[in-house]
Amino acid sequence: MATGRSLPFHFTPVDGPRQTEAGTNPHAKDTTFVPDTVEALQGRFGGAVLEVFLYAGEHTVYVDRSSVVDVCRFLKEELSYEYLADLGGIDLFTDEDRFEVFYNLVSFSAKKRIRLKIRVPEAEPVAPSITPVFAAANWNERECWDMFGIRFDGHPDLRRMYMPEDFEYHPLRKEFPLLGVPGSLPLPPQAPEAGLTLDPFAAAHGSKPVKSFQEARSDLADQ
Amino acid sequence: MAPDPVTGGEGFLTTRVDAVLNWARSNSLMPMPMGLACCAIELMAMADPKYDVARFGSEAMRFSPRQADLMIVAGWVSYKMAHTIRRVWDQMADPKWCIAVGACASTGGMHRCYGVVQGCDNFLPVDVYVSGCPPRPEAIIHALMDIQEKVRNEYTAADDSGSGDRRPEPAPLRPRVLTPGGDRVISPVALYDQENL
Amino acid sequence: MSMISKENFSETLKFWPRHNEALYRRLESKNSWLEERRGPREKGDPDPLENEMVLNIGPQHPATHGVLRCAVRLDGETIERCAVDIGFLHRGIEKMAENKTYQEYMPYTDRMDYLAPYANNVGWCLAVEKAAGIEVPERAQWIRMLMSELSRITSHLIWMGVGLMDAGAVSVFLWTFRYREDLYTIFDHVCGARLTVSHSRIGGIASDIPDDAIDLIEAFVADFPDAIRGWEKLLNRNRIWIDRNVGVGVLSREEVIALGMTGPNLRGSGIPHDIRVFEPYLKYDEVDFTVPVREDGDCFSRYHVRMEEMKESLKIVRQCLEKLKTVRGPIRVDDAKRSYPSKDEVYYSMEGLIHDFMYTDTGVCPPRGIWSYHAVEAPKGELGFYIQSDGTGRPFRARINAPSFSNIQGLEALMEGALIGDMVMLIGTIDPVLGEADK
Repeated sequence: MATGRSLPFHFTPVDGPRQTEAGTNPHAKDTTFVPDTVEALQGRFGGAVLEVFLYAGEHTVYVDRSSVVDVCRFLKEELSYEYLADLGGIDLFTDEDRFEVFYNLVSFSAKKRIRLKIRVPEAEPVAPSITPVFAAANWNERECWDMFGIRFDGHPDLRRMYMPEDFEYHPLRKEFPLLGVPGSLPLPPQAPEAGLTLDPFAAAHGSKPVKSFQEARSDLADQ
Repeated sequence: MAPDPVTGGEGFLTTRVDAVLNWARSNSLMPMPMGLACCAIELMAMADPKYDVARFGSEAMRFSPRQADLMIVAGWVSYKMAHTIRRVWDQMADPKWCIAVGACASTGGMHRCYGVVQGCDNFLPVDVYVSGCPPRPEAIIHALMDIQEKVRNEYTAADDSGSGDRRPEPAPLRPRVLTPGGDRVISPVALYDQENL
Repeated sequence: MSMISKENFSETLKFWPRHNEALYRRLESKNSWLEERRGPREKGDPDPLENEMVLNIGPQHPATHGVLRCAVRLDGETIERCAVDIGFLHRGIEKMAENKTYQEYMPYTDRMDYLAPYANNVGWCLAVEKAAGIEVPERAQWIRMLMSELSRITSHLIWMGVGLMDAGAVSVFLWTFRYREDLYTIFDHVCGARLTVSHSRIGGIASDIPDDAIDLIEAFVADFPDAIRGWEKLLNRNRIWIDRNVGVGVLSREEVIALGMTGPNLRGSGIPHDIRVFEPYLKYDEVDFTVPVREDGDCFSRYHVRMEEMKESLKIVRQCLEKLKTVRGPIRVDDAKRSYPSKDEVYYSMEGLIHDFMYTDTGVCPPRGIWSYHAVEAPKGELGFYIQSDGTGRPFRARINAPSFSNIQGLEALMEGALIGDMVMLIGTIDPVLGEADK
C-alpha cells in the first residue's frame, strides 16, 4: 500500500490566508463569530493556538497538530461543542506544511460553530485521529486518507473510503491529474473467465493493468 | 421446384415460430434496472402512472439478473461499479439486450473525471443509447421501442439456411402514418411536411 | 446476495480482491459499534461464531436505494457486524470543482442529491456568494426558498414511496409518483427541466417564475394536504407499518450526536437542530414555520418527522407565494463581475455580450487566500460547502459536507444488533442518496 507515487506536475501554490474585515459580508452568520471560544482556547492552550483568522464572520483557529485531540476534548467537554459537522483535508501544494485538515464543530446549546485547522507536512503526512473524542470522525478521516493520503494515528479502521483498496494514488492531491492515471483502474473482463481490460484512453497510452490486479493477494493480514 | 408461396422456401417452423417467439419476447421484455444515479429516478418515473411502461409489457422490473432479459444502465458508471455491472450482465440468460440511459452511461457525459468509465460500452455490448441528462421518461420508452423493434428483427435460423435469400422484412413496430395513397409507410421527415404527403 | 466462504477470500472474490478482502476482514475486526455499546462479551455467552454466516448485500440490490453495499455477519437472524462499503458512484466532483469555474460547477451539484436538486443549487450558490460577498436581490431569495421547499417535498415523497415499497406496499409508490409528477411539471415550467434544474445562478436565479407555474404551484398546494391526510390515515394506525417501525432502529440523543447524523434523523431523536433555524439563510427568519421533532428515535418517529416536514414545507410555500405577489424587482445582481447579465442585454448590446463571455470564461473571483463555509438544510440534512479561494475564478478547494455521507455512517451502528429482515427498513429510514454520499 504505497502512499502515492510522485507524478511530474507543476502547480502554482496558493498564497497564505489573508485577514479580511468582518461584518461586511451579507451572508455572515452570528453562529460562526466566536471570540469567546477563541479567547478560551488561547487562555487554556496558549502556545498551541498558532493563529486565528476571521473572514465573513467565521473564526478559524489554527492549532498545533499534536494538541488537536486535547483541543477537541476541551471544546467538547467544557465548551459544549458536542457535534462534529465536518472534517476534511486540503492540499495547499506548498513546500512546507503542504496539507491541512480542518474540523468543523457545532454546539447545539450555545448555537455556535467553530473551525479548527491543523497543518500537516508532506514528509510526515500523519495527523492524530480524533475518533476517541468524536466517533463521527471515523468515516471523514477515512475519506481524508483516501483522498489526500493523510494517515490518522489511532484510527480504528483506516481503509479507503471511496476508491477500491487496490488503487495506488490519492486523487485529491494536486499532482493527480483530473482524468486519472491511465491503467490505474482496470475494466472488467469481456468474458466470464477472461482477464481484466483497459479503457481505450489507457490502452492508447500503452498501459498495462497494474500488478496487484493480476494476482489475488492476501498479504493484508501481515500489515 | 418453385418456392412455397407461403413460407418463401423455408420451413414453416423456422419462420413462423421464430416470428411468434420474437413477437412474444418483444412485448414482454423484463428489464433489469441497473439504477445508479439520477437517470434511475427518471427510470422510476417511466413506470409511474403517467408514463406507464406497462403499455409496452415491461412493467415487471426484475432485480434479479436471472429473470431479466433487458439491462437498463441508468447513471454514470464508476470503475469500481463496472465490475459489478459486468458480473450481473454475465449472469443474465441469453438472449439479452442493453440500454445505456443518459449521457453518463453512454459516453461518460459531464463526468470527465478519474472515477467514471467514459461510457459503459467500454465493457458492455450496448444496443440502444439514450441521450439526455437525464432523458425524459418518453425518451427511455422510445429506447424500449427500439429494443422491441430489434427483438422482432432478431437473427433466426432461417437466415443462414436454404437458398441464402433473406426472409422478408417483418412488419414495422412503430405506429405508421397512413398516407392518402393507402397503407404505405412514410419517413418520419415527412411528418413535418404534411402538405407534400 | 451471495455467500462468502470465510477460509479463502481470494478464490471467491473475482474483482477488487484487496478491497473486498479488507472489507471482509473488517467483519472480523474488533472495534465494533455494538461492543462499544454493550460492553465486551462475557465468558458464559454462547459463541456467535459457531453459526455465523457472512452475507454480501449490494451494490446491486433493490432495497439499498442506490448502490450501497453492506457486508453483514449474521448470527441466526441478528446482524452481528456490518461493514458498509460506499464509493460505487464516486466520480470525484471535488476534484472536478477545482477545474471548473464557480458557475460552471453548479450543474454538478444537481447530480449530487438528485432527489432534490434545487436545494443543492441553492446551497452551492449561497456558498459562493458568501465567499465572494455577493448580496442577492430579495425576489430571487423568495423564489429560491419556494423552490427549495418544493424540492424537499419531492425528496420526502421518494423516501416515502420507496420506503413503503420496501415494507411491501407497492401502491403507495405509485401514489407518491403521481404527486412527484405534479412537482416535476412545476419544475419543468419554472426551469425547463424536470429533474436536473440548474436554475439558481450565482447572484440570483436564471429566470423569473412564470405565471402559469404560480398557478400550478397554487393548485398543488391546494391539492397536496388531502394526499398527506390520506397517507396518514393509511399509515399512522396501520398494524403492519407500526410493527415494522416502532422500536426498530432506535438511536438515543447521545448516539445520534456521536454518530454525526443530520437532518430528520437528528430531529427524530429529539434534537431540534435545523440549519434553517440555527443559521437562517435566505428569508427563513421571516417566515413562520416549526421544526418537527420527535423524541423516540426509532423509525416511526423519523417517519413522523418527515411527514410533518412536508406539511411545514407547504406552509412555507404558501407564505412565499403570498410574498411573491408583493415583492417585485430584479432576480439577479446588476453587476457584471458578480452575476450573468440578462439575456436581453446579451443579445442587444455589445457590453452585455462581453460581460456574458467574461463571466463564462472567468466568472466570479472571491478574494485571494480566503475560505468560508455555508450550510443549508437540504432534505437529507446539513449540506455544507467549504470553499477556499486562490483569487482565480475556480475554487482552490471545494469541500462538500454531504448529509447522506454522515447518515450512512450511522447506518453501520444502526444495523448492528438489528434483525436482517429490518435491514431494508433501516436503510430506508435514514434515506441515503448515494450520489451525494459518494461525491
